[in-house]
Amino acid sequence: MTPLSATAVGKRYRDRWAVRDCSFTLPEGKVVALIGPNGAGKSTLLRMAAGLVRPTTGELRTFGAPVRGRIHPDVSFLAQDRPLHRDLTVRELERFCAAMNDRWSTDRVHEVLGLLADVDLDAKVGTLSGGVVTQVAIAMALGRLPRLLLLDEPLADLDPLARDETLRIIMTEVAERETTVVMSSHLLADLREVCDHVLLVDDGLVQVDGDIEEVLARHRILVGPPTGESTVEGTLVSATRTQRQSTLLVRDAGPVPEGWADSEPDLESLAMGYLRASRERRASARRR
Amino acid sequence: MIWTSWRLQRLQLLTLLGMLVVGAAAIVLLRSNMVDTITSTGLAQCVTQDVKDCTASEAMTDFRAAWSNLFYLGQAAILGLPALVGVFIGAPLFARELEQGTHVLAFTQSVSRTRWMVSKLVVALVPAVIVLAVLQYLVWWWLSSAGALGPLNNGPYNAINFSIAHASPVGYALFAFALGTFLGVVSRRTLVAMTAGLAAFIAMRFALSAVVDRFAPTQRMETTGDKSLGVETDGSLVLGRGWLDAAGLPVPEDRARTLIQACKAPTGAKPSQEEFLACLPRSGLAKRYAYYIPESQAWQVHLVDLAVFGVLAGLLLVGTAWALRRQS
Repeated sequence: MTPLSATAVGKRYRDRWAVRDCSFTLPEGKVVALIGPNGAGKSTLLRMAAGLVRPTTGELRTFGAPVRGRIHPDVSFLAQDRPLHRDLTVRELERFCAAMNDRWSTDRVHEVLGLLADVDLDAKVGTLSGGVVTQVAIAMALGRLPRLLLLDEPLADLDPLARDETLRIIMTEVAERETTVVMSSHLLADLREVCDHVLLVDDGLVQVDGDIEEVLARHRILVGPPTGESTVEGTLVSATRTQRQSTLLVRDAGPVPEGWADSEPDLESLAMGYLRASRERRASARRR
Repeated sequence: MIWTSWRLQRLQLLTLLGMLVVGAAAIVLLRSNMVDTITSTGLAQCVTQDVKDCTASEAMTDFRAAWSNLFYLGQAAILGLPALVGVFIGAPLFARELEQGTHVLAFTQSVSRTRWMVSKLVVALVPAVIVLAVLQYLVWWWLSSAGALGPLNNGPYNAINFSIAHASPVGYALFAFALGTFLGVVSRRTLVAMTAGLAAFIAMRFALSAVVDRFAPTQRMETTGDKSLGVETDGSLVLGRGWLDAAGLPVPEDRARTLIQACKAPTGAKPSQEEFLACLPRSGLAKRYAYYIPESQAWQVHLVDLAVFGVLAGLLLVGTAWALRRQS
């Protein structure tokens, strides 16, 4: 069953659309990278999927059921600001979450916390470092034994070691329980290692949606003389131009013309290309 | 669920318990101290009889000088407790969660928002009401053993006595609590909810104190102009009075005043009392009437008071639930 789908979802805050006309269907058992610049609507999208925010238009479905004001029992959500009760100890927090759920696995929480470098169960959450708080929050999210895990910036405040540990926990979860994971992040290099599906959102719109390998294979980066751009076939996504050369991101490119060098983009340059393009569109719309 | 709500409310609940223990001990000690004083100064008979008949007037003056401030303190505690319940228990209950974002944790677990809200409300409200009721009972027990020597002598309709008796304090506490939670959810700011809640509570208490009497069942009494109605002095609550003409219709107030004035000084010379009383029916002031609630019916007014504030509290709690469901 489709873990998460959206049909024409939009969310307006006063006079600004945070998300506009978003439609997508996520495949099951994949790790989905939700990428986009700050303010692109990533958080809003995840919060709508978790039943925290009601869409202004359209509808989201988790496991086939429309999201209406509450989270699906098979979905877990990690909020960006890690809203844990700061004056509870980790053990008390675990008891708190257990009491609030019909299905709960204390073993799973302890297993996850055990994987992490010495989390003191009797320390108050407020005394823990930002990274450990995130890891505790992920452990609590996994205690619900979700089939869809929504993570809003799970790696944002982690040092490289903690980031590695956290990614390992998520990957183990995916491997053992075939959980579908949606994670938003700026850290594209880290995402590339673990994600197999990309959902690129900017300006409230879905710009790219697809399997990472396929998406990357469909795009080329072409570097060549600034005068010869007309010889390039395919859909131009974005371009950076200097006096001496042009660098183009092209979708569905044709044969490489004379004098041009061609390579497959990595996730980072692909994302950069799309984000640059939408920024230029916005800038020119504002000029008009 | 009960445990989670208790754990998050622990500080307030322990404070309440502390208040109960300290307050109860203080009242019990004060009362026994006071009873000793009454017995040793020979005031015992003044407790039950009318103050005017109390012969030990010097001892009574001393007693009042020594105890009246303490009585006020006891009354003020019960008068202020509902406001404290609203400010320190009602207002932060949801506002703190919304302010710190921890409601998101609760909203993304499997219990419904309404169940979460109800469990928090029950754990916060029930102990507060119990503590209030116990302290109120103890204060009343203390004040009533001072009898006519204490503030209860002012009658049940005295503004302070009324506010601290019967079901009224519970009604005020429910209202203050619901007002605090509602403002907390709407404003999402603890401090705003606390201050605005306190101000709104005090304003509503003043505004509604006059309204409540109107809903209470009243009695009507009529006498001829030469007799006193008696309700002014027997502790009843008089809600309206005036004069009736020979046909039994009420005489407008300013006209009645002019007529009485005319009877008082018909020709410049001051009339005797008999002449004055005889003048009244001749001028068209045949009878006096009054609407009143007797002292013994005070409990009915308290129940109306509880109903008014209870209904408002209920509406505010429904509003709180509605606002929480819309919360993101």
